[in-house]
Order: sequence, then structure tokens, then C-alpha cells
Amino acid sequence: MTIYKIKKVLNSTLIHAILMSVALTCVFPVFWMISSSLKTQDQIFKSMSLLPGSLLDIFSWNWSNYIVAFVKADFGFYFFNSVFYTVVGVFFIILIASMAAYAFSRLQFFGKNVLFYMLIATLLIPIPGVFVPLYLLLKNLGLLDSRTGLLLCYISNGLAFAIFLLKGFFDQLPKEVEEAALIDGCSRFGIYWRIALPLAKPAIATLVIMNSLTIWNEFLLALVVLQDKAKMPIQRGLMVFQGTFITDYPMLMAGLTIATIPIVIVYLLMQKHIVKGIASGALKG
Amino acid sequence: MSRLRIFAVVNLCFALMLGAFTGCTPREAKPKADVVIWHWMTDRQAAFEKLTEDYYKETGIRVLFETYAPTDVYKNKISAAATANLLPDVFNPMGDKKEVAAYINADFIADLTEEMNIDGWKDIFFEKALAQNTFEAGNEWNVKPGIYAVPLDVNSLMIYYNKDLFKQAGLDPENYPKTWPEFIEAGKKLRAANIQPFVSGFGEGWLIGAFAQSYQWNLFGRDGIISVLEGKTPYTDARWVRIFQLFEEMRNNRLFASGIVTMVNKDAERSFATGRAAMAFNGSWGVNVYNSMNPDLNYGVMPPPYLPEGKFPLLLFGGEGSSFFVNAASPNKQKAIDFLRWMTQSGPQTFLAKETLNIPSNREVAQDLPPVLRIFSENIKNTFEPLPKVESWQVTNFININLQSVIIGERTPQSAAAEVQAEKERQMKGK
Repeated sequence: MTIYKIKKVLNSTLIHAILMSVALTCVFPVFWMISSSLKTQDQIFKSMSLLPGSLLDIFSWNWSNYIVAFVKADFGFYFFNSVFYTVVGVFFIILIASMAAYAFSRLQFFGKNVLFYMLIATLLIPIPGVFVPLYLLLKNLGLLDSRTGLLLCYISNGLAFAIFLLKGFFDQLPKEVEEAALIDGCSRFGIYWRIALPLAKPAIATLVIMNSLTIWNEFLLALVVLQDKAKMPIQRGLMVFQGTFITDYPMLMAGLTIATIPIVIVYLLMQKHIVKGIASGALKG
Repeated sequence: MSRLRIFAVVNLCFALMLGAFTGCTPREAKPKADVVIWHWMTDRQAAFEKLTEDYYKETGIRVLFETYAPTDVYKNKISAAATANLLPDVFNPMGDKKEVAAYINADFIADLTEEMNIDGWKDIFFEKALAQNTFEAGNEWNVKPGIYAVPLDVNSLMIYYNKDLFKQAGLDPENYPKTWPEFIEAGKKLRAANIQPFVSGFGEGWLIGAFAQSYQWNLFGRDGIISVLEGKTPYTDARWVRIFQLFEEMRNNRLFASGIVTMVNKDAERSFATGRAAMAFNGSWGVNVYNSMNPDLNYGVMPPPYLPEGKFPLLLFGGEGSSFFVNAASPNKQKAIDFLRWMTQSGPQTFLAKETLNIPSNREVAQDLPPVLRIFSENIKNTFEPLPKVESWQVTNFININLQSVIIGERTPQSAAAEVQAEKERQMKGK
């Protein structure tokens, strides 16, 4: 073997070892979550093993934790609520943000830049800082403790970043394509709908994943805006297992595993686009 | 059709189908019960719901317990609801006396003094629990003197010790260390036996402060503490330096578990429950926590060891655990008070104590508690007395941070005391 080959093998081994250790640190919490969801409370504190029991007897693992978690935390309707908030919220964020971003990118109107920077400035305001004014606003609109109220909060919360991202993407699209469409008689909305939007697929996929994650995991706003348990999202269900003093870890981990599945599915569906999005500059802004 | 387009179409269908569903939701919160209570104690929800069922069967009045946790979110919700004038019938502002006073002065909280005097309701409670919900005449927040909340349970902070680990280190588990030198000696023996002697959530400032405050009572007494609060006695006084020295002594003798300065209480609880530390400074709620983590744990409790040179009794951090405040503007005020009166009677309190392993605020019920909880309960009388003044949060924060600095050897007791005094002077000037 030549020195060159030895060097190449060593380099490759080193790179793979580093990458594998990074990957392991990322995957470890997920393994721990799944493993703990199959243990008893006692086992979690006493046993350091990542396996919930013997590999030869997987039926003795506490699979019933999943059923108990689902029933005890009323996951059925919380799950439905979260799916509803995520799907409707993401849909309207993409719809409104794409139209607004296109307008900011291509149309000329009075105060365009001021309006855009004002919108971007809202990204700097943390959610807990607006609890009280938001609560008052929703009360005055008669939208407190309603799904519409919560959805409006989610949508407005996601808009600024989505507009920022999509505007950056639309800015980079070649104007010649749009001019050709205009000559062919296409309307402004037609250009947005038939040309700009399909070309922005990678950016949209990125936004779908990011906003799905945000809305799916959000619960601070939901707890402040909503009162009716029947309208609460899935994260509220997880709180059932997290007491002031005692946390029921096996149930919490089983609940978390259930709550993680939909978001993993969305990611798997969209991952091809997000890679493309990053590669083609969707995240450049 | 591309995957993205399918996703968009599915989204659109959902949005359209469920749009009607959204539009049909009620626009304002409609009361589903006669009395609505907002609380943060998620682990007690099942017990509360059982009590409301019993109460409904007895009186026909529906009470609804709504949980909002964690406490930060609960607190935000309460302040937002107060601003919008939408507070529930019963709640807790979750603040210190100063914050509670602000709610009272804004007419959000009802004065319960008259109600408490009817049929001797106030006499069933531990004095300390009630005292923390009472505003005395001449209080610094100008609150009308009276009782403003109903205590639900009480707690106190003591040192748990693992009897098996004590035996392992050659210590007598039935004869725990009572004085500071005995405590240090016990710690040394534990360390020699390769056992971590002492753990606590000292990463949480309030817990390290609570431990130090016991010695403040031991060395200064009530009048001495008031003198410090008023700025007449400086934090550089030899007695406060001694308090900082206690932590230095513990460090020098290797009593602390590793990482104690950044440790949150949940981690400290886990460490003690799994036998990785022999002693833990924790609240009475720990009984329930340790029971859930390790039901076989063989432990006892002891008060923090007193200082031989201390001229005053060593008191414990504790008193009122959780309390309920009644909304002064609630149309269901009387119903809410009646329910709270019922809830604090022997029957419901016994049930709550059994279900949640907390010390009930009704002192008659406290007699029937399990042995360890009974020790905590008997020590409620030894908890800090309410003071007419409180230290500013900035100075309190400085004390806690400097205690941590002493533990890690970043500051000497003298320089830590000087730091705190400098902050105290800054705050006094600011006033």
C-alpha cells in the first residue's frame, strides 16, 4: 500500500469517526426517550442501561406505557387539535407570506422599505413579552379562548420570518422569465401563482418544516390564550405527566415519542426540498 | 403531481373543511361551572377533581379546576387576565408579598378576614400558614390589614439523611448530628467512606438562600434581622461573615456533592433518591418525590444543625405551601369562599394529604400523617416568622450568588459579605 493510500484511509477513518460521534450525540437523546418510554419509573432512576430490559424478551418491556399515556393524557383530541393548528396555520403562513413577499420583491409602492423593516423588526420581540397586549387584543376582538384567536397568533407569529425568507428567494428569480410571461398576457397574480410560487418550492418546503415544528411544539401561547381543555394542543397533554414536584418519566417519554412521530413524517416528506432550498440559497434571506 | 403540490392540496382541503369548525367556536370564555379555579399543581389535578365531584354531590355546586403549568406560564396568564379583567373566581398571583399587595390594592383580591372569623375558620390552620397570607397594620405596602388567602398546605425545609449510608460510614442513623461541629464530623466520615455527604439544588438561588437564612435566624434573631433589613447592621457584620464561613467550611471539608453550585433541585433529588448522596437539604414535598423515585429508600429527617455560638433558635424556611386567593370582583365570590371553607375541613384535607403526601394546612389533620411527614409538620412551628419588611430582590440575589462564589472558592467569606453590603448600600441610595 502506498503512503498516499494509507493517508487516504486514515483521513477517511478519522472523518467518519468524528461524524459518527457527532451523529451519536444527536441520536442519543432520541434513543434515551424511546428506551425510557419502555421502562418503569424505578428503572429510569436505578438502571443506567439504554435497553429497557432483555433483548431476548422484548414483550416484557412496558409497551403498555403508550396506551396509558394516550388515554391518560387525552391524546386523542389534543392530537387532533395540534394537527389542525399545524396544518391550517402553516397553510395560511405560506399563502399570506408568499403573496406579501412577492409584493415586497416585485411591486413598487409607497413606504415599501419602511413597512418591510417594520415587519422584520417584529422578529426581535419575544413571545412572552407580548402576552398581556395580545391577551387584551384578543379579548377586545372576542377571540379569547377560541381556535381562531390562537390560529391568528400562530399565523402572525410565523409571517415575519416567512416573508423575509421568501422575499430573498423571489429577489433572486430572473426577471426575464416574468417579463416573457407578461408579454404573453399573464396577469401579475398569474405570474405569482404560475411562475414564482412553483419556483419557490425549496423555500416553501423549508418554511413548512420550520413552521410545522414551531406550531407543533408551541404551548406557551396556547396556555395563555385558551382556557377550554378541549381546544388545547398536544403539548398540553404532555404537561399532565410533568408535575410541580413529580414527573412521570415513562409516561412523559411515551407521550413525547407519540408527539414526535408526525413531525418526523413531515420532515421525511420535505427533507429533499430543504436540502435543495439550502443549496439554492433559500436560507440566504 | 409533485409531493409539494399534494401537500398543498391536502392543506387546502383541511383548511376549508375545518374552517367552519373554527368559526363555530365560542368567542368568549363561557363559564362551565359555578366556581372556576386556576392552579398550577398538575400533579394534584386528579385529587382536586375527585374533591369537586364530592362537593357537587353534597351541594349541587360545580367547581372546575383548570391547570396551567409551568408556574411561569401560570403567572403570565394571571397577569394578562388581571389586565383584561378576566380573572377566574379563585387563583394565586404567585408572587411575594409585594406582588400580592399590588393585586390587593388593585381590588383583584378579596379580603377574607370576616369570613375567616366565622365559626373559627381561621383557627383550624397552622398559625404560620395563615400569617403569610396576612397583612398587618402599618405594612409597607399600605394594604388594609387582614387575611387575604386560604392556605391549602404547608411545608418546611429540613435535611433528609440516608440511614443505610450513615450506617455504612459508621454513623448512628438514629442519632443524627445536632450541632454544626457534629455535622461537619459526620460529613468527614461519609467522605472517608467514599460517600458524597451533602446535596441540594444550590444552583437554584432560593434554596441556597433558604439554608443560609436558617443561620441568620440562629445568629441574629428577629430584631437583628430587621436591623439588617433596615440597613442599621451591615452585611459585613461578623455574624453574616460567619454565615458565609459555614459554606467555606463545608467546602474545605469536602461535604458538597460535585456540581452542587449549578445543580437544580430535581437533579439533587434524583441524586439523594438513588443513594448517591447521604444528606439532602430539601422541602417536605421531597417525601412524595423520593417515594416516586425510590419507594425503598430508607431515610430520616433532621433540622439543619444549630451553631453552638448562636444565641437564638435556628428556624426553618417554610410555612405556607400553596394558597388560594378569591377574586374580589367575582359574581361567585361567596360560592368560591364556601368551597374553600369546605376544602380545608378535615375530610377533604385528609384525602389531599393521603393522595399528594403534602402537609395539609389544617393542623388537626396533620396528626395523622406518615412518620417523616409528621416530623416536618411538627416543625412548622419552627419556621421563619413573618417580618414587616423584606429584603430587595437585588440584595437577595447578591447573597445567593456570593454564597455560590464561596462554595467554588471564588470569594472569601469576608469579600462576599463586602460585595453584598455594597449592593445593599446601592439599593438604599436608590430608595
